[in-house]
Amino acid sequence: MKTTFLISALIAGSTAVAALAHGGATGIVKNRMDAMSNMGKVIKAVSPMMQGTAAYNADSVKRAAAFFAQHSGEAMTRMFPEGSGGKPSEARETIWSDWETFAGLAAQLGVAAQGLAVAADNGLMGDAAGTMSSDSMMGGGSTMMGSGSGMMGGGMMGGRMTVEQIGAMPADGAFAMVTQTCSACHTKFRLESK
Amino acid sequence: MRGMFKLALGAAAFVAAAIGALILWPIGNENRPITLAGDATRGAYLARAGGCIACHTDFAAGGAPLAGGVKLATPFGTLYSPNLTTDPEHGIGSWTVDQFARAVRQGISPEGAPYYPAFTYPFYANFSDQDIADLWAAFQTVPAVAEPSTPHKMLFPFNQRWGLKLWRAAFLEKPQSEPVPGNDAEWNRGRQIVGGAAHCAACHTGRNILGARKSDTQHFKGSTSLPGGGKAPAIDFETLQKRGWTVENLAFALKTGIRPDGDAFGGAMGEVVLYGTRFLTAEDRRAMAVYLMDDHSGG
Repeated sequence: MKTTFLISALIAGSTAVAALAHGGATGIVKNRMDAMSNMGKVIKAVSPMMQGTAAYNADSVKRAAAFFAQHSGEAMTRMFPEGSGGKPSEARETIWSDWETFAGLAAQLGVAAQGLAVAADNGLMGDAAGTMSSDSMMGGGSTMMGSGSGMMGGGMMGGRMTVEQIGAMPADGAFAMVTQTCSACHTKFRLESK
Repeated sequence: MRGMFKLALGAAAFVAAAIGALILWPIGNENRPITLAGDATRGAYLARAGGCIACHTDFAAGGAPLAGGVKLATPFGTLYSPNLTTDPEHGIGSWTVDQFARAVRQGISPEGAPYYPAFTYPFYANFSDQDIADLWAAFQTVPAVAEPSTPHKMLFPFNQRWGLKLWRAAFLEKPQSEPVPGNDAEWNRGRQIVGGAAHCAACHTGRNILGARKSDTQHFKGSTSLPGGGKAPAIDFETLQKRGWTVENLAFALKTGIRPDGDAFGGAMGEVVLYGTRFLTAEDRRAMAVYLMDDHSGG
């Protein structure tokens, strides 16, 4: 299992993984850039499984989930001490002016990752339910205009879902809960240079 | 001197008359009244896909759904998305479905004024009467917010709405969303979403000095001048292929926000996924990917 090996290697060696240039970053900025890169590598490694283009392996998914959980919550926020913005960091100053939202997303990453660990054994939506749309979980999506709660309300995304709720989802749905949290945080707090 | 003065006066009178004619110049087409019953659930889906909610909800400031206020900095001045809630005074609560249809498909206000093309109505021109009825039904479910829309701060001469009539005459083009015979249903569904509701070209096609898309030469070749200063990469099928995109990982990205290299979208594309494409059905996301990854230059 190439994927399993890759994920294990990434996780075992996460502190030793050679970093990319990252614009000459040093210290805490380099550390967090490395951590982000490592999470990206794990995401990249499990993505083909979630797309159904590689064989599904629940153990790999659990290991990936544990890795994301390790980097969530305070482990994430303490890598962003006040005053650590500015080049070469890609962190927006709004991290510190809207710390509550940032910390909320970091915590949400932990909830989603723990949920993914549970959901890993559920397999993919495609395996479980034939032709069912993989959206039916997220999907109530359509009534959001009426209720004004849920999607449109408080947090950026399913912010109020619990580990149990996410754990009951198919693995690909739970995985999307993790990655949508990554994307929500990047959208709000990362400068886009690329 | 007297001659010069007369000439100048004459020129001024001519310009005034031309502007006067422009102000009176009727725009748009009359449509048959819409009498169809709308499906609010279907309409809400279309509102997600079309970005109504993304652009007319100030998520950053915790604004109410569709109450507007999102700032859009353009080279021509600053626009603020208006309040689209059911408030009769500040929103669209006093509109008729036919006025709504004209606004969405033709970009013309109930008073007959042309909208700025920052409102992506050119992409919505092929919406069917049923689509409009559904959207209208969905908008009726939005709680009223009694907050006035923020007035636009456009620079002269772009603050003169009649100028937009010239813009429309010169640049308004049909959306590339109609079915193309010879392609299957999935491909055509992808085209309908990509070229219509999802209005991908609004950001991924470069614009000329007057803000019109260079569709003939720059279609999906990316843009370096998004409102607010962002960049959008090229998404023509050759570039997508070269950068490691496939139908599978593109459809996946529209749901998860994850790129082939494992990074998660931020910026404007992050918003597109967070407020839009992640709510679409897996079938629709796949259709978008099928269309985008195919050579659709002929149609």
